[in-house]
Amino acid sequence: MRNLYLFFLKYIDHFIFIIFVFFSFSLLFQNDNSNIHIIRGKFSDKFSLISSPLAWIRSMTRLEKETENLRLKNIQLTLKMQSMLNENDKYKSLLELLQFKEDSNLELLAAKVVNSGSSANLSSITLDIGSNDGIRVGQAVLVPEGVIGKTIIVGKKSSVVQIMNDINYRLSVRVLPSGTAGILNYLKDDIFEVRELQKNSNISIGDKVVTSGFSQIYPINLPVGEVVEVINERGSFQKVAKIRILSNLGGLLHVFIVINIL
Amino acid sequence: MNITNHIFIAIFVFLAQFFLVDFLSIKMIRPDFLVIYIFYFSLLYGRTLGIIAAFSLGLLSDLSGVGSFFGLAPLALTINAYLVGFLKGKYERLLPYVFHLLWLIILLLHFFIITYVNHQLIFVTSFFDFIIRWLMTFGYTMMFFLVIQFFFPVKEASIA
Repeated sequence: MRNLYLFFLKYIDHFIFIIFVFFSFSLLFQNDNSNIHIIRGKFSDKFSLISSPLAWIRSMTRLEKETENLRLKNIQLTLKMQSMLNENDKYKSLLELLQFKEDSNLELLAAKVVNSGSSANLSSITLDIGSNDGIRVGQAVLVPEGVIGKTIIVGKKSSVVQIMNDINYRLSVRVLPSGTAGILNYLKDDIFEVRELQKNSNISIGDKVVTSGFSQIYPINLPVGEVVEVINERGSFQKVAKIRILSNLGGLLHVFIVINIL
Repeated sequence: MNITNHIFIAIFVFLAQFFLVDFLSIKMIRPDFLVIYIFYFSLLYGRTLGIIAAFSLGLLSDLSGVGSFFGLAPLALTINAYLVGFLKGKYERLLPYVFHLLWLIILLLHFFIITYVNHQLIFVTSFFDFIIRWLMTFGYTMMFFLVIQFFFPVKEASIA
């Protein structure tokens, strides 16, 4: 008996190992036992009390991260929506240009504005077409709302257009319905001045202003703008009309060049 | 170091395992702090105490819900403690590389048992994925182990 006891003491570590491994295996193979579930459930309740503050911190951390992600997503979607709205505007504008080209009795060539002039003393834009496309110096440049300028420099693949708000720009126009002719030049913002109008002509605010057709550059009756003010000075032999042009010179993206009159 | 200190350290390691593993989890691969503790404990105090500590901590770990298979942690840690216990005081008797190779094999075996039980299906369907998962689990814990090893070298623990 004593020998057995001494044998047990000598190899106690091996015995403990065998017992614990056996016990572990028996636990492992009884994972589906209801008693094991009950024991685990009870311990789980106790441990959940300890872990609940940590779970709260973890959920707050995740919440913060999620809010950040949502904010980022929101910005991305807003930008995407803005881009889609811009594309829609562009589409509408191009559709309008197409319609104008179809309705017009002029032979027009569409061009893209690639640069707005940086010259201090000349308001100009650069187009992506040139003499290779049939462009010459002194051709009228239009948008659906009306005249905007004329070509002044033509390269092989690009052209420079002097636009109406250049200080040296002049355009022969006629005020409708009276038919009085005058010379238009830039004043400020989108306001232009028509000088040399006959003193006795009947001009009212809201009258339409079109090209006169006297010039070899601009075909007759192209829209230019409308009268916003009439100045009739007593000592002067002429009337002056202030007009607002219809086209937006600051936001030109596509224009037409008049190649020929059909 | 008296028994109270060890109990405190064991509680601290258990709480670290309980609270931190989720934060340290990378693609469901988690570090195992308990095996590091049991490894050092067994190396310091031998097989008998090591096995008792391993089984107790493993059982506590499974009861706390950290382990998914009830009984797996006590089994793996007990085997680990038993085998590491053989290395107690053996550093000077064995060639250093044999000693280091042995404890590495013991830890690999520990993670093999854990990974095999948890991912039996992967073992059957895709052995390569199983190997990857096994080595990743081992490697992740080894990162922490090597940091601790820097402060408490294994060889010193063995000859202590």
